Amino acid sequence: MLSINIFNGLVYGALLVVMSSGLALIYGLRRVVNFAHGSLYMLGAYLGYTVASHTNFWVAQVAVPLLMGLLGLALDRFAFRPLQDRDPLTVILVTFGLLLVLEDLVQTVWGKSNLSVPAPDLLSASVDLFGMSVPAYRIAVIFFGLVVAGALTLWLRYSKMGLFVRAASTEPTITSMQGVNVDRLSGLVVAVGTALAGLAGIIAAPFLSLSPSMSSDVIIDSFVVVVTGGLGSLSGAFAAALLLGQVQAVGAVYLPEFATVLPYVLMMAVLLWRPAGFAGNRV
Amino acid sequence: MSTLLKFERVNAFYGAAHILHDMSLEIAAGERVALIGRNGVGKTTCVNTLLGVASLRGGSIAIGGSGLKKPRPYVAAGLGVAVVPQGRGIVANLSVEENLILGTAAGRKGHWTVPRIYELFPILRERAHTPGTALSGGQQQMLAIGRALMSNPALVILDEPTEGLAPVIVDQLATIFNQVADLGTALLLIEQNLSLVERVAHRYYAMAKGAVIGQGPVNAAVMHELKEHVVA
Ligand SMILES: Nc1ncnc2c1ncn2[C@@H]1O[C@H](COP(=O)(O)OP(=O)(O)OP(=O)(O)O)[C@@H](O)[C@H]1O
Ligand SMILES: [Mg+2]
Repeated sequence: MLSINIFNGLVYGALLVVMSSGLALIYGLRRVVNFAHGSLYMLGAYLGYTVASHTNFWVAQVAVPLLMGLLGLALDRFAFRPLQDRDPLTVILVTFGLLLVLEDLVQTVWGKSNLSVPAPDLLSASVDLFGMSVPAYRIAVIFFGLVVAGALTLWLRYSKMGLFVRAASTEPTITSMQGVNVDRLSGLVVAVGTALAGLAGIIAAPFLSLSPSMSSDVIIDSFVVVVTGGLGSLSGAFAAALLLGQVQAVGAVYLPEFATVLPYVLMMAVLLWRPAGFAGNRV
Repeated sequence: MSTLLKFERVNAFYGAAHILHDMSLEIAAGERVALIGRNGVGKTTCVNTLLGVASLRGGSIAIGGSGLKKPRPYVAAGLGVAVVPQGRGIVANLSVEENLILGTAAGRKGHWTVPRIYELFPILRERAHTPGTALSGGQQQMLAIGRALMSNPALVILDEPTEGLAPVIVDQLATIFNQVADLGTALLLIEQNLSLVERVAHRYYAMAKGAVIGQGPVNAAVMHELKEHVVA
């Protein structure tokens, strides 16, 4: 009983890893609190639904992040970059406006009823894991989360571009003085972050149903993860995502009446202990 | 000798504050030039205007003969002008070695590589994997110089590189500056320490109130005179 909850917590934690790493990257370079991130996730899920129904899940898993990445480039070029010297509240309002537009767009195009995306054939069975019968797809979700966390870590730690991203996250002016076009780099990072929101959407589609309200739970948890991990920090976000996944899953069993406030309790506890979050504010 | 950097009647602003007034200067390949003046006369603003941090509204700045239409922070390094900023600007979340690698962003190949920087500053090799800001002030200055050299520049602008450093470190840096200049790299040394200027520079510009008020060759007599009137 407990172990299935730990397992489900891990699955949800893996989804939060994908969601919140995008949010953390965008905050890290653009200092934008992107309220539309959850709606981008939802758009990714719905786009995934359409692409998968014409082709298959795997094509959607590649195509959706690519499409969302292009949208991210546009978002940076026409919103975040021109607004970078404005006060943060302006940018927050713009992302909030984008959220409303995206929610409306999704309802107009796909309707209000719940939709579902079947798990790919390869992963549609249940498998035996330490004596529990679990859907193979959920194991794959954990794997996707690991791949995303691993790939981002390798990129940031060991590539030259990753080094520039880390430098620009704390010292944008010094970094650009060395010859890095930080605006272009930030555009790319926003594209990666938006693509990750889309990827989270298509990953979630086969195990959470699609509805116009699907973004609200995940976005709040993602913000809790990013703040708890340390604004803009990826490794902090990874740890916080896994922790929140457990808190949600285990809390739902033992403290069901408090389930909705547990994320905030976690966030407050961590922030009282370390006001800058697990890792402080750097990528 | 070809001109590397030229300011022609530059007028620069921070918002509405007019800081540089018809500021002109010129540095040729391989030259060792000093820019001197009291606190607040606009020395750093010259660098900031080149980088587009202060806004250029009148006059022109050219690197290697071609004018910068709209100066941007990332342009100068690619054109061979590296800046060692006042306050050093070491990136705290990068290691010493990563700070050096950041200096290769302009993509200019040449003499300077990480091992060569370590030969110049052996202490940096010892501290290669510690965070850049864990170094002492003098070591951070060495790191900032090393990072600038990593872009294989034709000109290095050093903005008050010895500010706050002990005299022995200043002596060490003077030797390094001469070593770098002997390899053919031009230097623009922004300084208030005139004995350092005398040991490194061949020519000077003196600034007051955002403009050049004197220039000429560096020698002991001139430096003595400037000490009385321009810096003190
Ligand atoms: N970001 C800024 N915004 C507005 N005014 C500024 C800014 N930076 C500097 N100033 C003003 O511009 C003038 C020139 O400053 P600048 O930093 O160029 O002086 P400096 O010659 O480099 O002095 P120091 O030797 O102290 O470094 C000063 O009056 C300063 O107060
Ligand atoms: Mg200065």
